[in-house]
Amino acid sequence: MEAVSHSRIRFLTAALLFIFGVIVLRLFWMQVVQHDKYSVLANNEQVRKLIVPANRGEIYALDMGKPVHLVLNEPVFTVFADPVIIDEPDEIVNSVRSIAGGTARSGLEKLVRAKPSRYQILATNVTRKQAKMLKDKNLTGLGFQPTTRRIYPEKELASQVLGFVNAEGKGQYGVESGLDKRLRGTDGLLQSVTDPNNVPLTIGKNNLRKPAINGENIVLTIDRNIQSYTEQALKHGMKKAGATFGSALVMNPQDGSVVAMANFPTYKPEEFTKVMDPAAFNNAIISSPYEPGSVMKTFTLATGIDRGVVTPESTYLNTDKITVDDRTIENAAKGQLGQVSMQTALNWSLNTGMVTIAQRLGDGNYINSRARNTMYSYLHDKFRLGKETGIDIAGEAAGYMVPPNSGEGNAVRYSNMSFGQGMNLTMLQVASGFSAMVNGGEYYSPRIVAGTVNEDGEYVAGEKPKSKGQVIKSATSSQMRKMIYDARRAFHADGDKKGYFVGGKTGTSQTLVNGKYDFGQTVGTYLGFGGDTAPKYVIMIQVSAPGKALEGNTHAMPIFTDISNWMIDYLQLRPRS
Amino acid sequence: MRSSKPTKSRPLYGIRRHRGDYRIILYMGALMLFGLVVMYAIGPQRAHVLNNAFSDANYTDTHFFVRQSMYLIIAIGAFITMAKLPVSWLRSHTQQILLTAFLLCTLLAIGGAVGLPIVPEIGGAYRWFNFGGFASLQPSEMLKFAILIFGAAFLALRVRENSVNDRDASLIPMAIVLAAASFFVIVLQKDMGTGMSLLAIVVAMYIAAGANKKVGAIAIAAILLAGVALIIAAPHRMERVAAFLAGDSVTTSNDETYQIAHAKIAIGSGGLTGVGIGNSVQATGYLPEVINDAVFAVLGEMFGFVGLVIILGLYGGLLIRLLSIADRSAEPLLRFIAVGIFGWLAAHVIINVGSVTGLMPLTGITLPLLSFGGTSMIVMSAVLGLAFQISQYTQYDTVKNGGYNEGTRSRRGVGRSRHANRSRTT
Repeated sequence: MEAVSHSRIRFLTAALLFIFGVIVLRLFWMQVVQHDKYSVLANNEQVRKLIVPANRGEIYALDMGKPVHLVLNEPVFTVFADPVIIDEPDEIVNSVRSIAGGTARSGLEKLVRAKPSRYQILATNVTRKQAKMLKDKNLTGLGFQPTTRRIYPEKELASQVLGFVNAEGKGQYGVESGLDKRLRGTDGLLQSVTDPNNVPLTIGKNNLRKPAINGENIVLTIDRNIQSYTEQALKHGMKKAGATFGSALVMNPQDGSVVAMANFPTYKPEEFTKVMDPAAFNNAIISSPYEPGSVMKTFTLATGIDRGVVTPESTYLNTDKITVDDRTIENAAKGQLGQVSMQTALNWSLNTGMVTIAQRLGDGNYINSRARNTMYSYLHDKFRLGKETGIDIAGEAAGYMVPPNSGEGNAVRYSNMSFGQGMNLTMLQVASGFSAMVNGGEYYSPRIVAGTVNEDGEYVAGEKPKSKGQVIKSATSSQMRKMIYDARRAFHADGDKKGYFVGGKTGTSQTLVNGKYDFGQTVGTYLGFGGDTAPKYVIMIQVSAPGKALEGNTHAMPIFTDISNWMIDYLQLRPRS
Repeated sequence: MRSSKPTKSRPLYGIRRHRGDYRIILYMGALMLFGLVVMYAIGPQRAHVLNNAFSDANYTDTHFFVRQSMYLIIAIGAFITMAKLPVSWLRSHTQQILLTAFLLCTLLAIGGAVGLPIVPEIGGAYRWFNFGGFASLQPSEMLKFAILIFGAAFLALRVRENSVNDRDASLIPMAIVLAAASFFVIVLQKDMGTGMSLLAIVVAMYIAAGANKKVGAIAIAAILLAGVALIIAAPHRMERVAAFLAGDSVTTSNDETYQIAHAKIAIGSGGLTGVGIGNSVQATGYLPEVINDAVFAVLGEMFGFVGLVIILGLYGGLLIRLLSIADRSAEPLLRFIAVGIFGWLAAHVIINVGSVTGLMPLTGITLPLLSFGGTSMIVMSAVLGLAFQISQYTQYDTVKNGGYNEGTRSRRGVGRSRHANRSRTT
């Protein structure tokens, strides 16, 4: 009996050790092998992350050198429900619907009963007052999340420059998108281990406190008054011209600042969700390259004068037609036959004169490789046409200029380019290059950001714009100013205020419809400058309408004149004696 | 053998008393202190959770620590008492003890049925008398103790008659007593854990008594049958079995698996060395029963794999001591009491740890000496006191090797079981 008992106790010992061994293995499995898995599970329920949203920077325009709000933030609330702890769903639905009104989402009845979800957004953009009314009802399971929304005190002013902020808080189009990184700032993070009731605990290494870094308040180079007048003048001029599409760009040629930039049709950023055709968001001035037409003759002349192959007084034999390879190029305005000067060619917008300059850039008879290289070097490399300017507005298109040594870049192509055809350029590129042409020859990249407003509300001007270099000689620039002034004076100066230095060039370009030039539908362009002793503004206008032949002189130019005369007053320019 | 005031040098069943096995006190004390430290560490969090959950609750931060300390003092008293109270006295009162236990269980059931205020309802069952304040009594613990004494006495007789495996003399009477006890504990009190530990006490004794394979097979079949029946009969047991079968994929979002999933998260997130004492996050309200049945899980979170292995080592050491005492007890009664205590303690530890680690379906049972709670700790200390008493009457060698009772010569150099008492009485 005793012997039996001993073996049985040994059996119990063995059984105990076996079971304990299994337990230890199990613990090893859970605590060492699968530790990471359980840590993740533990963190998932223990660690609460609270994102502290950074305030989005506000956007300002300038008004007599002082920043004024174009976009500002209004504190609003997102109202949400926790369906799990709601006890009076109908009461909540009724309250939210009656107080939040249009900001309430549809199907509230369903949302408040969407268990096991613990977060259902019931209404967004609820004002502080509405939120307070809801809070005062002391409804269980209703939460309020403070947030902001963009409001636009100037309504649709400069809307295509601004862009908007979508429901996810991301900037779309305009500077909202182009400068999203700077405007957005960096969200802060509060991470805390909490108990099941979300009370933060001071336990462990998982607690984090990273403050939010607010976005920068951006001051645009846009002048509120110029922008406002430009939009008004464009709208008015378009109506008179019967145009459907229109764009107006005003720049300061002395530093590349864009002071006004307007396109129609446009939209109200506050109501961006109601826009049916997203084309309205596009800023055509930077994102829709086109053939500028005859305004480009100024660039050809500048090139010719700068290279010394022509002067304003140089003459050539005009027969109203000129042959390049197998093509014959004709003038639009005919009758100025015989020996004519380059100034006349500019005044009458003679294509033959421009082709002649192109030929003289070569061997005098043919637009050879040297001529093409010179033209490309001036147009593309110096005046930066056909490439992105790098302005901080989203959606900029590069456009295109055919290089001189590609198959397409032959003499015919370059003869067309000499009078503004066969290349795709944005208005911003052309106006920036034109600014360099008239300001003494220095190229400034177009800019939209003037500076910032700091935390104390003070305006901090950005870095002074730097010239990208002398692209044409100062003397060439001076001669070009004179030629363009004279060209305007020849036919179109009647409307100008007397005693000011205003010049400009028309352009009427056929549009490509299904790969062919359609003479029944043309785009009218006008490009010019104004100032006292020096050019103080460059204005570029473009108008068009489907199926209509809109012209530079009759349709685009009046808008230029309107804005130009107003600018003279606004800038308080002094008349030349 | 008559019950009179025992004297120190009185022999028990013909064996003179010697120095007891102090390792029992060492392991027990270590576990108790461990438990006390844990109550100190997570007591404030537990109090906070309860105060938040029940508007009328007002637990102080030290509530659980102070309570546990008081229980510990009583438990030490129970240990000393049972270490002194001669086993022979208990043996001679076996019937009274068993009847008292059954009577208390009956009273509890009746009290619950008629809605006696001292019988609180917990989870649809009546498990203890509550006399207000500190005083409460859990008849099922009493029943365990009664089954321990009765079983040992009963089997000691069967061993003398050589009828351990006899159907009519041994198996059926024991089955009836066990069935009656199980009826009270499992059916009326809905306490599967206590039922399993009752069974473990008897099974351990039968194994030690030499139950043969046939009896073993019948017992296993009967236990399985009864187990399946009990599980099927109660929906909450079915849920727990389902949760167990779902393995480690259980989630906290499900009410049925909430507790076991959190126990696993607590243990698993502890890692090798734990998050440190006082740094338990699960104790802030995620893990239910954190100071009672799930204390092992939160120990795992705080002390990690290393800490849990140490705790298991302490239990293992204590259990091995109990088996060793049994092995060296010549008198079958003493041997079976020691083995019964082993079965009792082992059942609690294995069921508790097995439950929270997902090795078996979740069963509510205390982790002896560590869990918060009076009755369990006091009764466990009492039976360990009994084991200590028995350890004072062991032989030098195992029973198998014939043992020695009085051979002073053979004990030379063996400190443990020399005439230790002499040094104190002279």
